[in-house]
Amino acid sequence: MSLLEVNDLTFQYEDGTSALRGIDFTVEEGEFIALIGQNGSGKTTFAKSLAGLLRPTTGRVVVDGIDTARKGVIKELVRRIGYVFQNPDHQLFNNNVYDEIAYGPTNLGIDDPERDEIVREAAAAAGVREALFTEHPFFLTKGLRQRIAIASTLAMRPKAIIVDEPTTGQDYRQSAEIMTFLTRLWRDEGHTIIIVTHEMPIVAAYAQRVVALCEGRILLDGTTRDVFARPDELRRTFVKPPQVTRLAQAWGDPGIASDVITVEELVDGAVSSIVGRSSASPAGISGGTDPASARGPGRKGQ
Amino acid sequence: MARSEFAKKTLLGIVPADSPFYAFHPVTRLAFLFVLSVTPMFIDRPEINLAIIAMTFGLFWWGRVRMSDLKKYRLLLVTVALFMFIVAYLAPGDKAQLTPVRLVGLTLYWEPMRWAFVSYVRLMAMLFGAILYFSTNRERDVLVGLRTLRLPFQVSYVAGLSLRSAGMFMEDFATIREAEQARALDLDALSLREKVKLYTMYTVPLFAVALRRADEISAALYARGYTLSGRPGTGGKRTDYLRDKSVLRVRDWVVSFGLLGTFVVIAIVSRTTGVFSIQASPLIGFVEQLLGIG
Amino acid sequence: MNAIELSGVTWRYEHAKEPALVDVDLAIPEGEFVLVIGPNEAGKTTLVSAIKGLIPNSITGVLKGDVLVFGERVESIKPPVLAKQIGFVFADPESQFTALTVEEEIVFGLENVGWPRETIGKRVEWAARITGVEDLLDKPPYDISGGQKQRVAIASVIAMQPRILILDEPTAMIDPLGKDLVVRICAELKNDHDMTIVVVEHNIEAFAPLADKVVMVNEGRVERVAPPREIFRDLDYLLARDVHPPQVSQVFGRLRERGLYRGELPLSDEEGFASWRTLPEGAAR
Repeated sequence: MSLLEVNDLTFQYEDGTSALRGIDFTVEEGEFIALIGQNGSGKTTFAKSLAGLLRPTTGRVVVDGIDTARKGVIKELVRRIGYVFQNPDHQLFNNNVYDEIAYGPTNLGIDDPERDEIVREAAAAAGVREALFTEHPFFLTKGLRQRIAIASTLAMRPKAIIVDEPTTGQDYRQSAEIMTFLTRLWRDEGHTIIIVTHEMPIVAAYAQRVVALCEGRILLDGTTRDVFARPDELRRTFVKPPQVTRLAQAWGDPGIASDVITVEELVDGAVSSIVGRSSASPAGISGGTDPASARGPGRKGQ
Repeated sequence: MARSEFAKKTLLGIVPADSPFYAFHPVTRLAFLFVLSVTPMFIDRPEINLAIIAMTFGLFWWGRVRMSDLKKYRLLLVTVALFMFIVAYLAPGDKAQLTPVRLVGLTLYWEPMRWAFVSYVRLMAMLFGAILYFSTNRERDVLVGLRTLRLPFQVSYVAGLSLRSAGMFMEDFATIREAEQARALDLDALSLREKVKLYTMYTVPLFAVALRRADEISAALYARGYTLSGRPGTGGKRTDYLRDKSVLRVRDWVVSFGLLGTFVVIAIVSRTTGVFSIQASPLIGFVEQLLGIG
Repeated sequence: MNAIELSGVTWRYEHAKEPALVDVDLAIPEGEFVLVIGPNEAGKTTLVSAIKGLIPNSITGVLKGDVLVFGERVESIKPPVLAKQIGFVFADPESQFTALTVEEEIVFGLENVGWPRETIGKRVEWAARITGVEDLLDKPPYDISGGQKQRVAIASVIAMQPRILILDEPTAMIDPLGKDLVVRICAELKNDHDMTIVVVEHNIEAFAPLADKVVMVNEGRVERVAPPREIFRDLDYLLARDVHPPQVSQVFGRLRERGLYRGELPLSDEEGFASWRTLPEGAAR
């Protein structure tokens, strides 16, 4: 059984706007997925539907065997899938950090000392120091508030976590910090991670699988390299692959893989292409046709 | 997202994409709001207020408001009714002065119950008038309406800002609810006391969001050259571009004055005669006969 | 004359221990396109807030030094007059909306200045056309997409036709298409309308090709001011401060370090394509 199974999901808002128009989708445990797409492509609606926060208008969303449309399944659902909202202000309701993290477990009927243990563990995992436990979340920095929001979600020990725009408005260092943290949860703790994002460098650097939505439907779904290697379809979602991928594609040099996604990969490819060419053939024409030397180092075929 | 053809979302509701109401100037539509929601204050007789409600529903239909969009007000109707009747039942006042009625094993007092019923119908009539207005007017109409009445700029501006905050407040509220659900809160499983406590919890994030916004808005006002007096720094008058763009036509004058005239007549009749009093109500009389009072 | 001149500006926010700006000197000639870069909390937003006079007029703290806008001290200019000189677009478009419809939003500043009706009508039309929001005029500004919101915010500021336009992270909150449109609008304003433009951005890749000058801010100080090709040459200095130049500049910078490339650093896709073709040994086809 897959962790998430979505069959022919549609969703319509009360003013008649169709946000999702027939989505079939599965997620296996242990995936790291990026949901991308233009504003209004339906990706946030989709993400909220996956977490059971919105009930399908038609179709089905099944989370680890639980149909999200059934009544009274909230407590079952949150143990399986957590949702971290974009604006931490919307999800911090308590007067101190400790209560905030303990809020979910309390609702689940977990008592001390088990609850206390969970709170400390979740705080540690999210990098929230215990010295902050008595602080009011309102007065902390945005980065910290976001971590508290993640800790509060972790405290319900879900298998999968959806994070809505984790890096929006953050600089490179902060983005890298939060993404490294999510990667650790994914790799070391076995969580399934789904992020909703506009930042393609983030997608390229961290996600394994990319799902691109367009007008309420899934347009592309594949490994990150595969998706970025299809610029024509991507263009329909108004998403551009990272600049290095675009350069490699524009150069069309047979010595450089067209699915590079980092600066280092492109530099390596370019260096070996230039060096290999100039030493192998003085004319620099025949070298490119030899498939053995055409492949840049550090890149494997998909 | 694909927008539907038949409706547009506004801060406080959903308005049809096209409606005969749109042919009127925003001020005329304000007159509709005023007359429909203030007239019931001068009328006690429930059947007349019911007739006003029926007429309002006629206007809903004429204005092409989707009836399914009105469903969300059901909860409000029930809550208000419950509240009023419960108050009338629990706190009837000086029982010695009142007429007791035995009904399905309960002792009720007629006068407070009658008061609750009459006030409820009146309140509903007023409320539907307001709902009609917000179901057929977009934000811009509200604003142009207020400005055309030559209210000082600050008044309509503050009205606009508060309307906007109300809308944002409701949106924030919806997101916060989702966030609570995401943290295992099962609303259906809560007792009333727990629900009340929950509402006090909402104030934390709502205030957090509002405070941060207030700071941002005051900086935004400064950046756009706004001074509290609403007067340009050059000493001249503030231009009112939006208001000057809409023109009042003959039919607006006719309808507005027709509406206001009707209102004035009703108000005078109400104050000078007993035509709109409870005593004149055959419906109340009939119920009293049924209960053997009177 | 310089459009903007800062000399010895030091600013400490009320309740803060450390100053957010330290002894900043900066001159921006009229008509220049300036890109302000640096890590978060480095003081970038504080710097542009000081230029707009939000500091010290709307935010409390302690200011030393002078901020001159066209030779006049910024805190002594009245808001409606200043609004005609400097337009300021905030990072979060939604937070700056004060009106109920897009049109009213655009009109708001114009009404504040008290221009006649006909002028306002023309300005609205002009601003809406450049930003492509003509079809949104009667919509409420909170019920449109993030990219549209940002364009409305820009429209409502440029409608005043300010001589200086400041944009604080204009693409941070919006999707890729929205980012492209914002960059295109900035290019048009620079090329056709001679505005002095100051952009604070993390998305350096998008704005570098437009910039005449890049200002690197770190820990409250203006550390470097130079044309983009020059400033991106010191890759390790920037990366150490978590500032990432366009990937195309990085790639050619690395090639240059290995002695494989000798030309100017390219800043855009097109330049990267052209530079690749100039490599004597590369691009064989």
